Amino acid sequence: MNYAKQTAPYVRKENSTKRMMVDVLIALLPVVVFAIYQFGWDAVVRLVLSAVIFILGEVVTTFYRTKPHPSVKERKEKFKVRFKTLTINNITAPLVSAIIYALIIPSNLSLYVVAVGALFGILVVKAAFGGLGSNIFNPAAAGRVFIGLSFTSQFAYTGIDAVVGATPLGAAKDALLNIPNLLQNYTVLDLFLGNIPGSMGEISALLILIGGIYLFARRAADFRVTLSTLLSFSVMMAIAAIAVNGNVVDIVVYQLLAGGLLFGAVFMVTDPVTSPVTKPGRWIYGLLVGSIVAFIRLFGSYPEGVVFAILLANIFVPLIDYYKWAKNRYSIKFIVGYVVALALLGFIVLVGLGGLN
Amino acid sequence: MIEKTRHIPDGKKERKNQPVSHYLEAEYLYFPTTDLRCPAGESCVIDGQYVKVGELIGTRHGGFFDQPIHSTVSGYVVGFEKKVHSSGQTVDCLIVKNDKKYVLHESCVSRTDEEIAALTKEDYIQIIKDSGLSGLGGSGFPTYVKLETKNKIDVIVANGVECEPHLISDYKLILERAHRIIEGLTYAMRAQGAKRGVVAVKKKYPELYEVLENARHSFMDFDIEIKRVGNHYPQGWEIETIKAATGIEVPVGKMPSEYGVCVFNVATLYGFYRAVKRRMPITERFVTISGNGIKTERNFSVRIGTPVRDLIEMCGGYTENDKNKVVICGGPMMGTNLQNDDLIVTKTVTSLIVLDEEPIKTEPCIHCASCVYSCPVDLQPVQIMNAYKERDKDALAVLNVNKCIECGLCSFTCPSKIHLTETMRQAKRFIRK
Repeated sequence: MNYAKQTAPYVRKENSTKRMMVDVLIALLPVVVFAIYQFGWDAVVRLVLSAVIFILGEVVTTFYRTKPHPSVKERKEKFKVRFKTLTINNITAPLVSAIIYALIIPSNLSLYVVAVGALFGILVVKAAFGGLGSNIFNPAAAGRVFIGLSFTSQFAYTGIDAVVGATPLGAAKDALLNIPNLLQNYTVLDLFLGNIPGSMGEISALLILIGGIYLFARRAADFRVTLSTLLSFSVMMAIAAIAVNGNVVDIVVYQLLAGGLLFGAVFMVTDPVTSPVTKPGRWIYGLLVGSIVAFIRLFGSYPEGVVFAILLANIFVPLIDYYKWAKNRYSIKFIVGYVVALALLGFIVLVGLGGLN
Repeated sequence: MIEKTRHIPDGKKERKNQPVSHYLEAEYLYFPTTDLRCPAGESCVIDGQYVKVGELIGTRHGGFFDQPIHSTVSGYVVGFEKKVHSSGQTVDCLIVKNDKKYVLHESCVSRTDEEIAALTKEDYIQIIKDSGLSGLGGSGFPTYVKLETKNKIDVIVANGVECEPHLISDYKLILERAHRIIEGLTYAMRAQGAKRGVVAVKKKYPELYEVLENARHSFMDFDIEIKRVGNHYPQGWEIETIKAATGIEVPVGKMPSEYGVCVFNVATLYGFYRAVKRRMPITERFVTISGNGIKTERNFSVRIGTPVRDLIEMCGGYTENDKNKVVICGGPMMGTNLQNDDLIVTKTVTSLIVLDEEPIKTEPCIHCASCVYSCPVDLQPVQIMNAYKERDKDALAVLNVNKCIECGLCSFTCPSKIHLTETMRQAKRFIRK
């Protein structure tokens, strides 16, 4: 009998990164099924294409990132050493990114554009930064923004997202007041169930919420980010509605359900790799995402508000996590700061929409 | 997962229901003359000398305190041998050959109630010092040093939580000796001039609450309360126990005595009873042998000084497979890994756990922050790990790595199976340089 050398603790919890990833995949399943039901082969082809590119990219880059020991000379041996470093997470993690990526693009997007975005997401945004756990931007969001900016003319779909988001500066007020008219075309129930045009995965709020509840119940995602995102977004939109003398409930509900906000808030901002690591930090991160989405929708001119907001908020994560101020306890300072920030941003919205006139 | 981990599968239910086997008849008993806290030591007996139960046979010298060593059997001193101490060190041990007569030493006569009533604080300190009592919760810190505090103590907390998985020695002790533990608590209260006493036990053990509550009724002159506290880990950590039992919040790094609280393990209080009432040191204790690397798991009541190899033999030995064995003295969260099973039961040995070694495959950190959420001291293990990788002393100091109590929860909860607790230890050593 040999004595093993270990240090305390000697027991580990029954959990794994793999389980977390698989949970996200399960949560995405209803949305994927609905996308396939709505868009048929278009959806299947795009899902499979991005999955293949993401997984291949991840596997190949992880494979060549591993440097075998110099004493290993033979090609075959080198291959073996490298092959051993691959784990199940080299499949599940890129698969999650791939599915999210495929669900936030329109169903009729050219396949080569899909491929370019996926390659950018996995190679530049994830692999170049060091693979799983080291990327600072969300690969799916970055891929989406990349093709959104590079192939603008390809995004000619007439979704509600386009109507809501792509309003030139200054026309925001009219657009907000136009919402009750829009609601005559699509009822809130249609929005909720997904009976509307839009990106593949973003249209059914109900299925996204089902996935979200599963994620939070299994603790595979942190509800704080999602809650904070939706809260700050709703506050901004409510203030905007007040500023233009619109119907607050109508506008807030419409803005919450239309476009990619819910999908982003449930599946994208909760990505742990690109989130801060403290509870207050996650609330702040959600505040950033929610308010930037609101700002882009109110004052900006891109329909991909959510992905932009996530990328912008990702930039702030190292700042939020800086060791000199990141604390895991809710302090009075944090609560006051959060409320004041929310109030200030709300005030900007109020002034920007001319609510003070 | 992304949540605060508080509960660890503890296997206490199986342990609890197993009977205690009494093994008090070991042929040879071994008494370490040095240990981790006391690097020097000497014996005051010679080879061939006859010693009795409770007789002083040597002294261990620590930095600022001495610890007497007492024999727990009667018999002849037969020499010295190197054995393994619960800290994993190999130390010199005095050997006494058991003559199985258990003759009590002349000094071991019970005190009467009148004598006890007349004792002053200084007397108590001297009695505890002479009995060699030390923190039996695992720290091994000499108890009399705690009593010597200049601060005014209002509350004495008896810690009966024992939150480490697999350990049941305090549980069994409370069940069998509840009355004496409460009596020990009253002595501790008298020694410190404390008005209140609180016994903390886990909520999930109503039987412990019952026996302690019954015992309490014999001491109605004292303000003693039995408090049922949470079941989670690390509830038995001093500061969490104080908070749950009395509501007093002691900041990490401060002495509880500055806040008028003093914590003793229930086993230490039993030692109080033995020392004050019976003028005897602790001679026996409960030891559990468990884990999947041992053939049968058993609870024992043994004399201090018994070699653990005897107990392993009585358990049927190790399971026969080709896996390496992880031998742990103490609990699975904070215990010491031994490289040799030639262990001696000292006062602070609570259990021996033998596990089959399972390879743990580490994945990259995905910043899920489970470790941050779970840390009982509100540290950020993931940030400390990153700062340690950068060898960033300033960041490590600001992140308070020295506050880490090495409870093991960060490693336990990590979904990527990163050994964060070991990183914390390395980081602590690194900033001390």
